Amino acid sequence: MSSMDNFVGLSVVLTGFAKSVINPTLDEVNIKAEYLPVWTERVASESGDNQLPEKILSNYQALSEQEPALTDQQIGEQMLSDSQSAAFVLACRQLIFLWYMGAWPTVQEAPGTSTGGRTDFCTLSSKSYTSGLVWRVMQAHPMGDSNYSYGYWGEPPVALDKYTGQQ
Amino acid sequence: MKENRVLLIAGASLLLAACDGGKDETVSAISAVAASSSSVSPVEEPLSPEIPAKEPFGGNVSLESLQRDFDIFSWQSFIALNWPADTDGNPNAGVTIGEQPNTMRVWQHYKESRDIFLPEGTTPPGWDQPFPPPATCGSDATKPLLRQVGKTPNVLDESAEPFQTGPLIDQNGQYTRYEILTNQVMFDYILDNDLYSKAGQAKFNAKAEFPFGTDTEVGSIMLKAAWKVMGEGDDPGQFYTTEAYVYNNPHENAGVSEACQLQRVGLVGFHIGTKVEGNPQWIWSTFEHVNNAPTQGQAADKEHYNYYNHHCADGGVDCTAVNEPPPRPWNPANTNTPPSQIERVIPIADDTAALNRQYQQKLQAAVPGTVWANYELISTQWPTAAGDVTDETGVPAPTFLANTTLETYIQGRVKQTSSSCIQCHNNAAMTNGKKSDFTYLLERAQ
Repeated sequence: MSSMDNFVGLSVVLTGFAKSVINPTLDEVNIKAEYLPVWTERVASESGDNQLPEKILSNYQALSEQEPALTDQQIGEQMLSDSQSAAFVLACRQLIFLWYMGAWPTVQEAPGTSTGGRTDFCTLSSKSYTSGLVWRVMQAHPMGDSNYSYGYWGEPPVALDKYTGQQ
Repeated sequence: MKENRVLLIAGASLLLAACDGGKDETVSAISAVAASSSSVSPVEEPLSPEIPAKEPFGGNVSLESLQRDFDIFSWQSFIALNWPADTDGNPNAGVTIGEQPNTMRVWQHYKESRDIFLPEGTTPPGWDQPFPPPATCGSDATKPLLRQVGKTPNVLDESAEPFQTGPLIDQNGQYTRYEILTNQVMFDYILDNDLYSKAGQAKFNAKAEFPFGTDTEVGSIMLKAAWKVMGEGDDPGQFYTTEAYVYNNPHENAGVSEACQLQRVGLVGFHIGTKVEGNPQWIWSTFEHVNNAPTQGQAADKEHYNYYNHHCADGGVDCTAVNEPPPRPWNPANTNTPPSQIERVIPIADDTAALNRQYQQKLQAAVPGTVWANYELISTQWPTAAGDVTDETGVPAPTFLANTTLETYIQGRVKQTSSSCIQCHNNAAMTNGKKSDFTYLLERAQ
């Protein structure tokens, strides 16, 4: 399994979207090729642990190959469990944010607040903006970029599971 | 593996720099490297007058192999459509494409949009009945009539304000001329459903669904052709040329006076839109004359270009800015408009360029010196996920596609702004407010 294979698998588990959405067979947009290097570089630099990205992906691979097979839900819960380090869990949550928003999140330090601070984010590119899964969850389109045809606003959107690929 | 890791890091650096700088335009180094790989096997099929009717599929499901399948489909279509025709518009099977240079081609027997959408919604003449040119031109209805000086000025001007469309001026200060045509399948659908008039469209009250091609029957085809008037510096022996009425349409822009002149024009751009089973977003092929314009970032190594002046590239005075339309007012009667200075923004993909060389060699082998070897496929846009109900564009590949003679001023890589055949035509509608099936032609109904 390559790093990309594990990255795709982990992304499917953590986002709840089907592999057909995260990694289509014919992937002209290929947003994963933009996300993987950003995620790898940012996680390594922000955690101060260059091995952390590979450790996370290896951890995912081990869980995905476990016998008897775990469900995606079970794998996701283990990846985000308290048994993992805070940096490990944060990196997984950043991956979720990246896929949903097409943006890199930075949690600001704010000692003494219950939330731990606000989350700032930076959109990677126009392609990542339009590829954000949040639009699919809303059964809508990004502002300024609609792939629907004329008159779509007069029709109900297609079912949510068509957008998530989980039908 | 080591090289891959280097690429990943290089890609990451580019992306992070863009994000930190607050910019959102990033081209992945990884994608660019991947796109440059080339694997082209020889084309075995002979030159044929048969228009391909069904979805191309060579047996491999990958973006690269399918792109090649669609590019071959495009070349087959281009060759068949430009085959010499008999007087009924059927391909003359007794000759090949490079022969009979003065004979009209198959597609030149198709219906031009002016012959379909008539004033007051009048029923157009039947398929085999010629439509007379404007009285200003004369009475020979067999001559092509080129009346447009913008791609679809009445449509794009009204519905797509962000697009900086405008006339394209050749090196002699002459406006490029355009025509839009449909094949009989498409024409019959319009006629049979009364879609040539507003009243007919209102009565139809449904989405248009033009017929698909099947395994054996050619489906709907629409074409756009761009022509330049042959003049000083042009070698007519390098173009497919025809005599046409070049008509200045007084309705196109304010201040334009009606005029008409019979002139020799050379083909410089050619769009083919084809609807085949499995591709409801249509297949979009676009060709150009090889001397239209150089590609940005590459050597301008041709001695003469149709829309590019070496003198201007060297800092000459009185030159137009690159890829900018001329200032208004636009009037094709003005033969001294400053020439356009055009560059191709997105290079032709390596695999497509290699396929072009193969077809150009086949054409040369069939008829040495043929003008058809002077045309090249820019690319073919096709839907990678044609049945995706959440994305009616079907996720086109390539994402962007522009012909320097037909989408001159909207080249680039910005979604909803830069040229994408499917993305743009997905917005097309009829006068009844219903979808028009990827054609803006039906908006012309009166």
